Amino acid sequence: MTIAIRDVGAAKIVEVDGDVDLGTSSTLRKTLFAALPEASILALNLKAIRYIDSSGIATLIEVLNDSRRLNKQFVLFGLSTAVAEVFRLTHVVRIFRIVETEQEALGDGPARPAGGSV
Amino acid sequence: MTGFRVNFEMASDARYLPVVRGAVGALTAAIGWDETECRAIVLALDEAIANIIRHAYHGRSDGLIELQCRQSADGLEISMLDSGEPPDPSRICAREVGCDRPGGLGTHIIRDVMDSVSYQRTESGNRFLASKRLRKQP
Repeated sequence: MTIAIRDVGAAKIVEVDGDVDLGTSSTLRKTLFAALPEASILALNLKAIRYIDSSGIATLIEVLNDSRRLNKQFVLFGLSTAVAEVFRLTHVVRIFRIVETEQEALGDGPARPAGGSV
Repeated sequence: MTGFRVNFEMASDARYLPVVRGAVGALTAAIGWDETECRAIVLALDEAIANIIRHAYHGRSDGLIELQCRQSADGLEISMLDSGEPPDPSRICAREVGCDRPGGLGTHIIRDVMDSVSYQRTESGNRFLASKRLRKQP
């Protein structure tokens, strides 16, 4: 798994490539928790994630909860089919803000309503 | 002989999870599931192994996990054995689904994906058994 972060104004875009599993999710967790306080919007691009397990989903839930505490926006975009299937299996689609594109994640387009199908 | 059986003996180390996923993903495809079902079965198995690493061996990487995946007459049978701490039945599928609490999702995935799942305490250790039937399209 590789992670890249770039700044777009006050937002941070996090790109993840590879497998997020029990062996790698702690690295993603550290990265997201470090980036969250420094951004108004933390947007995570899931397009290049080939595999995610429940430890990866739990990481995203933890970051979401921390974003609420810090009054930040945590947005997911670019869900691949494989990732969307795991979101469906774990019944977490409704709790995240999920959009299609980076532009939408940054607030420049329509967001998919919470609970939208993936 | 007909069918296929694969046996793994692996350390309780998450580094080896991709190896199992690759092999079992190929086996499920060979048995006949479609891509979506193959991914789901692989995820369920991965979650079961991850639970052993995290809960039976408490993250230790030197425990032994014996895994057998066997093509059966109507699908796939999975058997795993470990010698770590036995699973706590009260924690299996104890988490409410659809909430924003992290953790506890793995056992729900296993139950949702597999047709049968059981956890047994034996003289050899903790035995996890699961099976999945291949439903032929009419």
